[in-house]
Amino acid sequence: MLKLRYVSTFGLIVMVALCFAANDVNAEVGVTGDSILVGCSNSFSGPLVYPGTQLVNNGLESYIGYINAQGGVNGRKILTQYYDDGYKPQNAVANTKRLVEQDKVFAILSSQGTGAVGATVKYLTQNKVPLLFPFWGEPSPGQKYIFNSFTRYPNQSELVVTWLVKVKGFKRIGILYQDDQYGYGFRDPGEKMLKKLGLKWAAAESYKRGAKDLSAQVAKLRKANLDACLLVATPPPGATFLKEAHKQGWKDTRIISSGPLTDEKYINLSGGVGEGVWGLSLWPDPVNSQDPAVVEYRKIVDQYGKDKDKTPNRYSLFGYFYAKLFVEGLNRAGKNFTRESYIAALEGIKDWENGMIPPVSFSATDHLSQNSGFMVEVQQSVFRPISGWITLKEGTLVPLKQ
Amino acid sequence: MQLSGKWKILGWLAALIVLLILPLFLGKYSIFLLSLLAIYALVSLGLNLLMGYTGQIAAGHAGFLAIGAYVTAIVTANFEWLPCPVTLLLAGAISGLIGFLLGIPILRLKGFYIAMATLAFGVVISEIILQWSSLTGGDNGFSVPTAKIGGFEFDSDFKLFYLIIPVTIIMTLLAKNLVRGYIGRAFIALRESEIAAQTIGVDLAKYKTIAFAISAFYTGVAGGLFAYLITFLSPDAFTIELSIDFIAMIVIGGMGSILGSIIGAVILTGIQQVFAGLLDLQVLIFGLSLIIFMIFMPRGIVGMLTDLKEKFN
Repeated sequence: MLKLRYVSTFGLIVMVALCFAANDVNAEVGVTGDSILVGCSNSFSGPLVYPGTQLVNNGLESYIGYINAQGGVNGRKILTQYYDDGYKPQNAVANTKRLVEQDKVFAILSSQGTGAVGATVKYLTQNKVPLLFPFWGEPSPGQKYIFNSFTRYPNQSELVVTWLVKVKGFKRIGILYQDDQYGYGFRDPGEKMLKKLGLKWAAAESYKRGAKDLSAQVAKLRKANLDACLLVATPPPGATFLKEAHKQGWKDTRIISSGPLTDEKYINLSGGVGEGVWGLSLWPDPVNSQDPAVVEYRKIVDQYGKDKDKTPNRYSLFGYFYAKLFVEGLNRAGKNFTRESYIAALEGIKDWENGMIPPVSFSATDHLSQNSGFMVEVQQSVFRPISGWITLKEGTLVPLKQ
Repeated sequence: MQLSGKWKILGWLAALIVLLILPLFLGKYSIFLLSLLAIYALVSLGLNLLMGYTGQIAAGHAGFLAIGAYVTAIVTANFEWLPCPVTLLLAGAISGLIGFLLGIPILRLKGFYIAMATLAFGVVISEIILQWSSLTGGDNGFSVPTAKIGGFEFDSDFKLFYLIIPVTIIMTLLAKNLVRGYIGRAFIALRESEIAAQTIGVDLAKYKTIAFAISAFYTGVAGGLFAYLITFLSPDAFTIELSIDFIAMIVIGGMGSILGSIIGAVILTGIQQVFAGLLDLQVLIFGLSLIIFMIFMPRGIVGMLTDLKEKFN
């Protein structure tokens, strides 16, 4: 028995050693004469499996497949490598280290989830590996190796509140928020903005994550006689709120859904009672928009998408769009580039017209690709625009072109 | 077939030296993975003391891991001068104390009801972390400062390896001593029959709560090492699935076996890492391999090895 234990322990150590023997180095990490390797850790299982698979399989993969079919960028094909983290930060760290150390990727492209992305930031920054356009709502600005994607939650809140007061003339605005950092990310900046405009939350109610019954909150908010009520929730309680409001016959207040709720899946969840809800959309309608860039997106996803479910949605649109922006950077970086010169090339992007969101500009101090949105209303279960693209510049609403 | 004492010691020494010089030949990712394996082995060891040796089903060990991790992170952030072994001991002690306190009400429960109570404990801990955001950072997460002893900083996976592996080895040896001693025998007696154990003078309440406390201590220390290695904590890390993974580790490796705990942790984490690249198929293959393990090795790998050995003899 003792010998057996000794042999199996020794064997185990040797086995592990053999499995993970290290490989050597390249001239520029992840780049060869005919290929560029990028990748990410993402959710292919767990709570964010739908966003994850759509973002990667139909988003990143379809645009990269399309570019490769045309011969790649400067004669180089784009190769990809993904690992599943199931939305667990420790797995995201392990996967990201594997991508960087073992697979030797050039950059991490569009990983997902606040905790999962957050866990990898320190490591990537220390090792000077670019983290390009991750899908998270709380980006930390001012980091050289990180380029961020969509409008931050605090900015979304300020934008919506300002629009409601300045454009719609609303005075009595309330909020229902999830009682955690995500909820505070909307509540506190919204409150500051209201204060600047000489107002405050006319009513503020919260619920605990995972709550199933929101009847008390709905009743209180209804009593407050509001012009508008912001709804900062995740899809299931968001849908519960709408159903409860419908049940209690609450009709005289406009409900405004928060950023991540402005999504087709959520509208379906509410079972048809979402009519008339407003929201801030960060993307053109992936299903119905006739903008040429969106039409092209649907065509390319249909042809090159790797997931069985090819219904257009905001996650595959996200992946598609940021793969496109990644390729734009490659085009600008030229034939011979390094991680540093690639970052410089991205920082050189000014007013990049893309037909989907307002022109993208980066600089050495600004690594955020979008800080805007437009207001939509649910009409016959579809988000219809009720404003043009807007952004905030020093507290003032500014219209933008697409 | 017994090896003589001298050869046995030489063999272990050789294994130890191989393990300690291994990082010189490995890439950073492999070093990181070995450290993660060691941490999970420590949790699995702690869980095995409670489940495998004492027969109490515990389904909330991600909760103890979280307590150890957050205590370490918060203490390190506030008392930078404290040497990291002290912090780790503190993390283990606090987790152990909570394990002890949890053990008291659980004395009244049996079998699957214990599983339910511990499962709930795991969920409650992750909810507390989420809600107590002024201390834990809530959903935004907590960035863990580097582990230090005096002026020396464990600021790379390479250096951390030499913190994590010795701690794991020491605690494994301690566990080995523990299960061979009076306490270990009391645990096993409890597992086999509580009534019989009581008749031979084993204090049921005392040893059950001790088992909970020791198990939580091991997991708490592992949590501290986890915090240093991962460097960023958020409640998403400590889910029910992780608790279930820990149970799977000891079931695969072998219940009531120190070596089984380590083998189980290595195999389960290994399978997860190998299959992470299979994306959508990962969960399916993972589930299937667990079923296959259960059908062909119902007593875990160590159980199978023992059976094989008996056959040959």
